Amino acid sequence: MHKEESRTDLGLIKIHKNVVASIASLAAMEVDGVKQIGKDLRSGLLELIDRKTVASIKVEFDKNEEVKIEIPLVIKYGFNVPEIANRVQENVRQALEKMTNLSIKDIDINIQGIERG
Amino acid sequence: MRIFKVLGILFYAGTIILVGLGLIVLSLNILQPQDINNLLTYTQYNLNSRIIVGLIGALLILISFSFAQLILGRFQSEKTIAFTTASGEVTIALSAVEDLIKRLAGIIPEIRELRPDVIATKKGILVDLRVVLRSEANIPEITARLQEITKSKIQEVLGLEEQIITRIHVAKIIASEEKKRKDFDKQEPTMPFGGYGRV
Repeated sequence: MHKEESRTDLGLIKIHKNVVASIASLAAMEVDGVKQIGKDLRSGLLELIDRKTVASIKVEFDKNEEVKIEIPLVIKYGFNVPEIANRVQENVRQALEKMTNLSIKDIDINIQGIERG
Repeated sequence: MRIFKVLGILFYAGTIILVGLGLIVLSLNILQPQDINNLLTYTQYNLNSRIIVGLIGALLILISFSFAQLILGRFQSEKTIAFTTASGEVTIALSAVEDLIKRLAGIIPEIRELRPDVIATKKGILVDLRVVLRSEANIPEITARLQEITKSKIQEVLGLEEQIITRIHVAKIIASEEKKRKDFDKQEPTMPFGGYGRV
């Protein structure tokens, strides 16, 4: 499934995976200590071709209409990694619940690197 | 794994060298287009040679696929340290831990260069450090300090309670900049007849 759907009296509302990824990306970047969203091979190649920043955040909707998100991160030097990861998870959960009303199953954080100085 | 990598590299290097040699031979007119034509005709007409050529082709494709998989597989299965929180799982790439350790070189001035290699084992985290030291450094003292700092920094920043084993290999000892300058000053040439002054 590519989009999350919900029905109202007037019709159908679909939220695309990219919307969820964008919200998660912005919420993660708000946390002090996060340097940038990490990149994977696919987003790196797409950036080379399209010259646009492509979020490498993975979003999955399961059968129970719950969302699972995987966020790769690069952390600034000097910050406590588990603490930053916890704050990102909390901020992303709050932002998604506030903006989309989706029920969040898991927010997995993948620390890809520490900022290089 | 390392043997496959070496074999793959040798295979590709060998193939490229053969192609290069073929082109040189062609350009020097040693090999005529007619000879190539004869060779191709021979392989086409004889059943045995056709089977051999086909098998070589299949083998080349298989080697290429396995080599590509080996390289891409290495990128895909990057090792991580993981722990779970209430909201989900947190994984930390070992390369991130290596980035963190590299920053420690700035803390200890006697260390010129630091190359970490982090391995996560069942016993704990194994940190292999290759260091380049400046010549005035007291090696036992520096290495002990480095081990202590590495351990405490990993525990502090990553919040890990696992055992951290730090192994240090001093790869090189280089002359410090001050010593080099002193040596240079000593060797500064004197002006000829500079000692003779007017009376």
